[in-house]
Amino acid sequence: MADVREDILARLLEVAAAVPNVRWAQRNSVDVPENLLPAVMVFDADEETTDTHNRPSNSPFIVQMTPEIVFMEQADEVGSDLTTLRREFIKGVLYDAELNNLVAKSSPRGNGAIRYLGCNTDFGWGRSQSGFLRVLFMFKYTLRPEEL
Amino acid sequence: MTIDYSALLYDPVYAELGVPATLSVGTAGEVTITVIDETRPKSNINGTMEVRTTGPGAFARIPELAEKGIVRDDYQGASLTFNGRSWLVRSHELRGSPNGEDVGEVRFLLKAIESSDG
Repeated sequence: MADVREDILARLLEVAAAVPNVRWAQRNSVDVPENLLPAVMVFDADEETTDTHNRPSNSPFIVQMTPEIVFMEQADEVGSDLTTLRREFIKGVLYDAELNNLVAKSSPRGNGAIRYLGCNTDFGWGRSQSGFLRVLFMFKYTLRPEEL
Repeated sequence: MTIDYSALLYDPVYAELGVPATLSVGTAGEVTITVIDETRPKSNINGTMEVRTTGPGAFARIPELAEKGIVRDDYQGASLTFNGRSWLVRSHELRGSPNGEDVGEVRFLLKAIESSDG
């Protein structure tokens, strides 16, 4: 059994947890107390395919997964802090050997890919200025029904 | 006959719920006032994410501030110490009184001075 999706999401959490200064990294948790900030959440991703070729239903096909990773911080310089977290995380993902190997191994014909899609932010006030930074990546890999 | 809400409402409430506070405005020095601690739980939400934090705040009586030489332009950036913590005024809103806003309350919206982790 091999589930590329699960392997990517599990590794993403490890990469996110390794970002310098991150105090709390979780998967799919939606409730964060302020004393654990800066924190990061990895949300299980949307997955889609545009494969409509006329072939057996259990043939391998290409899927694109777009996980959301949300960094949270509360500080006077929250914008700069979030930008630093974003920078370290993008580097961590794009240069991570295990993630790159997962998509490459699943698609030996060169169809696998990791792409940074962008980020968006949201700010408010708590004890200090509070901010969210949502980072989007796309992972393209081959889903092989016979391996599930 | 006009009802004096300061004498009949605000002053007794502040006498019961108020705590001593020190307000520092720029180089004008410190004044001692009475505030009502309005620090409350607060949630900052983004999509399904929820960060549980604290919304620090305090109410003060505008007549008391005016009597001690504190005018509205002084509010922003002033430091306020009460109940063992020090804060900076990041914003404020006026709470009018039936006798007019000049004899009502001001709600100070505060932020931490020392650190972000509470």
